Amino acid sequence: MLRGRSVINAIRKLQAFTLSSDTTQHVDTTYMEIPVYDVEKPQTLEKRKARLHYQSRKRGMLENDLLLSTFAKKHLDGFTENQTMMYDRLINSPSNDWDIFYWIIEKKPTPKEFDNEVMDLLKKHAKNENRNALSQPPLY
Amino acid sequence: MNMIKSSRILMCMKWQNSMFAKRVLRDVFSGTKRNASYTIQQHKHDCLVIGAGGAGLRAAIGLAEAKFSVALVSKLFPTRSHTIAAQGGMNASIGSMHEDDWRWHFYDTVKGSDWLGDQDSIQYLTRNAPNCVFELENMGMPFSRTKDGKIYQRSFGGGTIKNGKEIAKRTCAVADRTGHALLHTLYGYTTKFKNIDLFSEYFVLDLLVQDEVIVGALALDMDDSSLHSFQAKNTVIATGGYPRMYFSCTAAHTCTGDGCAMAARAGIPLQDLEFIQFHPTGMYGSGCLMTEGCRGEGGYIVNSEGERFMERYAPKAKDLASRDVVSRSIATEIRQGRGVGPKKDHVYLQLHHLPPEVIRERLPGISETAWTFTGADVYTQPVPIVPTVHYTMGGIPINYKGEALIHVNGCDKVVCGLHSAGEAVSNCHGANRLGANSILDVVVFGKAIGLNIAKIANPGAKQPDLKKNIFDPALDNLNKVRNLHGSTSVHELRESMRATMQNKCGVFRDKKLLCEANFEIQKWYRMFDDLRMTDQRLNWNSDLIETLELQNMLQTAVQVVACALNRKESRGAHFRDDFPKRIDEMDYSKPTKGQTAKPINQHWRKHSLSKLDLKSGKVDITYRPVIDKTLDNEVETIPPVPRVY
Repeated sequence: MLRGRSVINAIRKLQAFTLSSDTTQHVDTTYMEIPVYDVEKPQTLEKRKARLHYQSRKRGMLENDLLLSTFAKKHLDGFTENQTMMYDRLINSPSNDWDIFYWIIEKKPTPKEFDNEVMDLLKKHAKNENRNALSQPPLY
Repeated sequence: MNMIKSSRILMCMKWQNSMFAKRVLRDVFSGTKRNASYTIQQHKHDCLVIGAGGAGLRAAIGLAEAKFSVALVSKLFPTRSHTIAAQGGMNASIGSMHEDDWRWHFYDTVKGSDWLGDQDSIQYLTRNAPNCVFELENMGMPFSRTKDGKIYQRSFGGGTIKNGKEIAKRTCAVADRTGHALLHTLYGYTTKFKNIDLFSEYFVLDLLVQDEVIVGALALDMDDSSLHSFQAKNTVIATGGYPRMYFSCTAAHTCTGDGCAMAARAGIPLQDLEFIQFHPTGMYGSGCLMTEGCRGEGGYIVNSEGERFMERYAPKAKDLASRDVVSRSIATEIRQGRGVGPKKDHVYLQLHHLPPEVIRERLPGISETAWTFTGADVYTQPVPIVPTVHYTMGGIPINYKGEALIHVNGCDKVVCGLHSAGEAVSNCHGANRLGANSILDVVVFGKAIGLNIAKIANPGAKQPDLKKNIFDPALDNLNKVRNLHGSTSVHELRESMRATMQNKCGVFRDKKLLCEANFEIQKWYRMFDDLRMTDQRLNWNSDLIETLELQNMLQTAVQVVACALNRKESRGAHFRDDFPKRIDEMDYSKPTKGQTAKPINQHWRKHSLSKLDLKSGKVDITYRPVIDKTLDNEVETIPPVPRVY
């Protein structure tokens, strides 16, 4: 009977510990690492492209909405699997949508892992040589 | 099939604790129910937070700290929430640059709201601002610093000290990316809690109501179109505003008023929807925002004659007057023929008289954005701008604790089970919001919700069983939308709605334009049933999601127009050409001694509450008085005066 009670107490302590929000006491909160979107999850190419269409149209701010949705409408359906993966990593790995924007308009240098042919296509697209007023294209 | 689904759920939730995992498994296996031909996976938590932006994340943190289990559901990955777009900063009277007092911030906010903001909520907001900023600083938010190491504060529209005597430097900033820093800090903090489950890229279809209590929500997993019911004793709506119903707006395409429409469908009247803030400096053509910080650092607006015309409209504050004052001034200049460009339909914002280092250091993103979307070089040319929808003051009515309200028999009554915060609500900002108050508002009321739910509920409390037919309204609607086979494309209807709102219910409003707007928006509302769904796929169906968003926008737009037509006065952001005066209970431009206050049905200093009949599109409008009484005697109620800057 005593053993049972000590087991119950141990379980209670375990519950209290696991539910405890004191976990941040031992964490350096001045640099917060946040989870990255899982692009490596296995999926068909068609499903990946459908997801990328949604994610190109729904960004954190209008500037990226306009640039990425117009770019996706023009190029995404014609991408190979390799190019699609590059685009997926580019728009889903960085935490700050503004960073993607600054790389595209070349205000900040593009990091090596994203400096590829898809990025070059994006940069060319953003130069807006035809001086179009950008607006989000219809889906169909 | 169920094994694969449940193991996928386990991976998504990043479980490390087997106790929690066992509880979830039990819910999935025993809880899978059938409704018509749909399988709905059941989740049960203490709290459900809808929306993972600034307000949603801060509420989730508060709840998790109080040991509640939280389901955080969002249609976007948290760092893609619209909070990231905020560039200006957050107001807090911490006094790093000069002596400051929260009571001056209180005065500015009450005056900015044109005496339509609830003064108890405003007191809560301004008094708790410094604490919230210091808390964020301790969480790791990297504020810009002055030479002494204090938090850098800049001036912002409408901020004054000594009750309007001088311009205040009260906006705490992180360069020009305060929104991103806030989101990154808060999201990072939430990942340290084991009792927050994140369900990202789930679109919430509807709230679940049982016995007049909100018991949770039904959501669609965009990945495979599976349905998930999230049962919770307390639900928090933090889904943002509804600016996307306008053609020109500075917001991302995600801001479609989903939470407001959800609450409307659950029978909760929405408050003050007609108050829409037009930001004076949105780039002409694309709608991208030129932050108010440009004017805070010394830029100013000129018309076709090169005149700095704001000196005429707001002699003291000039270009830093409240946003609605500046928007109306710009609209007046354009209407009177002093606009620039071939159509004379916009004006210029001038920055090239400032030293280039100031533009480079204090406003780093501005030059690139201006170049990409307008082709103007800020160092040498002025930028074309036009008033653009920036913020929607209206939404779900709440009190200072964050509880959603309805008004019955002359009293405010709390809606059981529902809280709300952020742009989706209407309490502090009244008829007009001051710049840099929104980012503050999301944090303060997100925290308030965490504190309030900790008082009124206990972690692990027993919850009622959901009735079998509780999902029927949401499923019927989903079925209907999926099987739309009409003749109108979603894109056409959306553009028609946006054009009507922009042209007929914009900065300038009068009876003729608003009646036309009402006629047209009712037409678009009925035309929703004639839409054509092109895409029937089950994985990442953007067509379905955008159609559901359009439905939410239409249901809100109908109410916006009805409220704008109904309010026959001008107050804050709502300006009517045919009723240009503010109509209060007394004439405050004269001494109030000897005047008797008019009864509430004879003046307009009251909140309008709109209720939509889903079948007919008819909007019913009732009223609720403004709360003037402050929380305690630390500050006195400020009586209305004419609002001039």
